[in-house]
Amino acid sequence: MQELLQHLANALLLGSTYALLGIGLTLIFGIMRVVNFTHGELYSFGAYAVFFLEAALGVNFFVAIVVAVIAGCLLGALIEFALLRPIQGADIDTTMLVMIGAWIFMQNSELLYWGGVAKSIKTPFPEAPLQLGLISVSWLRIFVLVVGSVLIVATYFFIDHTKLGKAIRATFQDHDTAALMGINIKGIYTATFALGSGLAAAAGALLGPVFLVTPTMGDIASLKAFAIVILGGLGNITGATIGGFILAFVEELGAGYVSSGYRDAMGFVIIIVILLFKPTGLFTRADRIG
Amino acid sequence: MLELRDLVSGYGKAMVVKGLSIDVGRGQLVSLIGANGAGKTTTLKAISGLIPIKSGKVIFDGQDITNASARKILSLGVAHCPEGRHVFPYMTVTENLEMGCYLRNDRKAIADDMSRIFEQFPRLAERRQQVAGTLSGGEQQMLAIGRALMSRPKLIMFDEPSLGLAPNIVEHTFDIISNIRDQGTTVLMVEQNALAALEMCDHAYLIESGALTLAGSGRELVDNPHVRAAYLAD
Ligand SMILES: Nc1ncnc2c1ncn2[C@@H]1O[C@H](COP(=O)(O)OP(=O)(O)O)[C@@H](O)[C@H]1O
Ligand SMILES: [Mg+2]
Repeated sequence: MQELLQHLANALLLGSTYALLGIGLTLIFGIMRVVNFTHGELYSFGAYAVFFLEAALGVNFFVAIVVAVIAGCLLGALIEFALLRPIQGADIDTTMLVMIGAWIFMQNSELLYWGGVAKSIKTPFPEAPLQLGLISVSWLRIFVLVVGSVLIVATYFFIDHTKLGKAIRATFQDHDTAALMGINIKGIYTATFALGSGLAAAAGALLGPVFLVTPTMGDIASLKAFAIVILGGLGNITGATIGGFILAFVEELGAGYVSSGYRDAMGFVIIIVILLFKPTGLFTRADRIG
Repeated sequence: MLELRDLVSGYGKAMVVKGLSIDVGRGQLVSLIGANGAGKTTTLKAISGLIPIKSGKVIFDGQDITNASARKILSLGVAHCPEGRHVFPYMTVTENLEMGCYLRNDRKAIADDMSRIFEQFPRLAERRQQVAGTLSGGEQQMLAIGRALMSRPKLIMFDEPSLGLAPNIVEHTFDIISNIRDQGTTVLMVEQNALAALEMCDHAYLIESGALTLAGSGRELVDNPHVRAAYLAD
């Protein structure tokens, strides 16, 4: 009983960052129909940015996280502007190849600069976990849950209630008609890519201190993000949010009760099961953003 | 107010509109009629900047808007109410209207315009928080018209406004469009329902296979034997 509660608590604490990863990817796919292979690299970029700012520049941990997220948005905007905009309208193979190239380039740049040795990020939180009855949770993980949840709510608010968010939804629902409303479609693409990338960087900035930071951490994050998006339905933000928490629970229980070596395999198990039984994702309305 | 000069446009390499010249005078209601596939929708898309113009010119209000961006063309005062209505299905009625005035920043005037539209279309007012995809066809058409009006256009282009609507709603829709013209907005309307389109217009054009074959007043076209035989089915 205690063990189960502990697993559930761990999963809950992890779920919000998985949701961020999934929302970022599903937004980009939903609006732009681009399979974004750089998503995981934005995740590792977020983690390395916090490490670099803190260890090399002595920036405060919390400030480093904020800067990492903003830098992630800017990097996303740059990728869209420099790589995707020039090949807009190209076939899907071309786009995929370009994104795969960017993924390999980014990962190797990290390897070149920081080397292959895992880095760890220092945090200002006490080592001793918080004891809540039968379960114990680290302060850092509570922080991750809180910030992740705030970002999820902020993303919803942005998409539902701001002018730019509404323009993003309109573009998703009817591209040509959105153009007739005077919406700058190219600008919407850049903004969407920046937002999705910023969310991935946020997930990396939050989970980097929980785990270790390595150049290949983005690969597994990408796979998890794809699993979440397939689970929730492409382009479905609520699906991605719930999908993120489901993946966290499945992983945690899989690791706890099957074998800890199977933790990262759970994402694949989910993809296979979903594709076999409900290829449109668990949640219908796969064709909506918001 | 709007002039097309030898307009050539289409999709990819296939040219659908092959040298079309028409004039829409200020304050007029001009109807563009023609069979399915004649290139009417393509013409409107080319005017509003959705598809590229291969050659020829579009002049609006004395300005050359050939191949300008859709955003620029709207900001100059040309609104386009597309064929099949194309409301944003997962956005509420209010949000759809907000999209119509996306380029405007005058909050006060926007609020006034929105309440005027709700006054004019009480059905929309009752459903303002409902998502547009759940509205009936007639309600969606009212919403599409209201959305186009929200940009305060000088010229509105309607593409098949009566398409797929119940007969009593069709009549209502044409009344609304006549009203828009009566209030001083210029209208360019594409219609399959040729008789109604010719009866209500100030001037009409017939296009066949992407080229102009007949121009004149609505009366003249109604009396034309070719139009009678091919489009008025009597
Ligand atoms: N998106 C498109 N891509 C390629 N061809 C198109 C497209 N839309 C329409 N067409 C073709 O252009 C021609 C004219 O279409 P359209 O302008 O829609 O006619 P109308 O509105 O007069 O019925 C048709 O032959 C149609 O098949
Ligand atoms: Mg048409």
